[in-house]
Amino acid sequence: MNGKDNQSLFLLGSSHQVADLSVRERISLPPDSIDEFYNGLSEIPGLDECLLLNTCNRTEIYGATKSSCSLGSISQYLSEFRKLEPDFLQRYSYQRSNHEVISHLFEVTSGIDSQMVGETEILGQVKKAYNDAFKRNVSGKMLNRLFQKGFQAAKWARTNTGISRGQVNLGNVLCELARRIFGKVANCRLLVVGAGEVAENTMEAFKSRGSQAITVTGRTFDWCPLIPRKPDELAEKFGGFAVSFNQFKESMHLFDVVLTSTSSGQSMIDYKDILQTMKKRPSKPLFLIDAAVPRNIDERVSKIDNVFLYNMDDVSAIANENLKSRMNEVDRCRGALAHRAQKLWEQMTQQREAT
Amino acid sequence: MNVNDARDLLWLAGGLYGLAFAIGFLKTFKINWAPLHEAPLASISLGFIFHTRALYIRGLEVHGCPLGNALERTQFILWSLILAFLILRLIWRLDLLGSFCAGLAFGAGWLSLLIPNCDPNYWHAANYQKLFSNPWIELHASIAIFSYGLFLLLAIVSVMYLIQRKALLSRKFDKLGSFLPPIQDLEVAAMRLLSVGVLFLTISILVGGMHWTRHPEFVSAGKLGITLLLWLGYTVVFFLHATRRLYGSKFAKVTILFFIFAIASLTLVNSRTREKSAGKLSTETSKQNLQL
Repeated sequence: MNGKDNQSLFLLGSSHQVADLSVRERISLPPDSIDEFYNGLSEIPGLDECLLLNTCNRTEIYGATKSSCSLGSISQYLSEFRKLEPDFLQRYSYQRSNHEVISHLFEVTSGIDSQMVGETEILGQVKKAYNDAFKRNVSGKMLNRLFQKGFQAAKWARTNTGISRGQVNLGNVLCELARRIFGKVANCRLLVVGAGEVAENTMEAFKSRGSQAITVTGRTFDWCPLIPRKPDELAEKFGGFAVSFNQFKESMHLFDVVLTSTSSGQSMIDYKDILQTMKKRPSKPLFLIDAAVPRNIDERVSKIDNVFLYNMDDVSAIANENLKSRMNEVDRCRGALAHRAQKLWEQMTQQREAT
Repeated sequence: MNVNDARDLLWLAGGLYGLAFAIGFLKTFKINWAPLHEAPLASISLGFIFHTRALYIRGLEVHGCPLGNALERTQFILWSLILAFLILRLIWRLDLLGSFCAGLAFGAGWLSLLIPNCDPNYWHAANYQKLFSNPWIELHASIAIFSYGLFLLLAIVSVMYLIQRKALLSRKFDKLGSFLPPIQDLEVAAMRLLSVGVLFLTISILVGGMHWTRHPEFVSAGKLGITLLLWLGYTVVFFLHATRRLYGSKFAKVTILFFIFAIASLTLVNSRTREKSAGKLSTETSKQNLQL
């Protein structure tokens, strides 16, 4: 903290930038201890305002003071609260003061400091943390202004730079491809053959976009009647339906998107199957996703008119390109946010001098 | 800049379409500046107003629908294209289609203005009479040209379809593809444009046909044949698509080829009559020339 200033902003934090998951788990505050943590924090002498941002990827304490309050006392309090060695916390944390705090917050809210650059979830988490501090009456004039400006900066960054451009999550990439083929994803009928992480991820992405027609099938549906069946479980989880594995090929023309993710190790949908399917829906496109390794869908089906076949390599390549495109925008965004942060800090210090 | 001069206004309209295209292009690649969000549509709309006024002034000069030379026909088709886009824009928010239309209206519009031979002042000829012998023929010609505007828009939509399809089939990251409308929506839009275009062309032929039965000497057999062939072609494509026998990329390619044929047929007939007239622009030939 700048000793010359009699009113300052400061920040103590730890995030994925300086600490891996196991370290973050030790520093992060359990949800049921937040009340107790705030009680102790607000009793630190000289600390006029404070705010805790506690997510899975970061634990940050923002503060403002008019008198003398050292970052050391905050660090000491956090170490004691989480029963950490002071050296340990010092190694895996960072400290910021004054205009650096503003720059940092702008980068956090806009998503350029996130593990997945440009993600938007963080903005909601910061808003939640701010509302919590506001209700507790621990944030004041300086932090209120700082966070309001932080939300505006996030909006500006998302609108005026490409940091959120393109999808980087595999399920979202598939939804984006489905949108480019069919328009509204909510109107797409999705058939999932098999299970697995990609299948669940895709179902989740389709469901979150309002898709009501999700159907699941798998080999276990037919040959294991006595044990819990994965297709049924998945269908139930996403509010969809389950169909018999023996019958799914006959009803494939009813679906717009077909995702295969079985571990059968052999080609399950061949050229003739898709030819038959397309005869029943000639003018409607069919989007096929082969998420299995080895592949489940014959590569030759992509030659059929109105059929769009993607495998996991294709989808991953698109996700990586989108991420690269976002990364290219980070420096431009960071520079612009630093400029905004500097301006805000100047306004804050001028106001302070005037009063 | 003279706001009562048709050519000046056409330059201005073309410039505004160009501006809309440039802003739309920047917007497509997310180079956004908040005050410019609605600028492409505003620029197209303003360009359309000047375009309309230019054609109106030219219409007053020629005492009829301005379709007497290559510039006028090009400008009338482009005007129809923009009108069709603005009507379509009321139903769908198709910003990128607007950029495509504005780019074409700018390029083709300015090109037709830059070529002096495209715009002979035929109405200044000593023996000049009204372009059209009666209002029905004028109606026939204007509806026919409007249908050409719709077919041009259909061709643009088909080009967008093919770009989107190619981007999806390449299975690679594609910036332009992600900003184009979905291929299913493009095919639906293309079918609607085709049906409206065929409807207008049919009405135009019916109106022209009524005049032709009374004065067959005004329409050459070649012209009549090409017009009917074009109408038949578009109608067959319409029925093939409606019965799901022609769809997807083949449908898109056919509609583009048909539009190229339509434009080529206009040029063909125009050059033929020019040869006939051997440099002398008589009222009779200009009348024949305009029986679309």
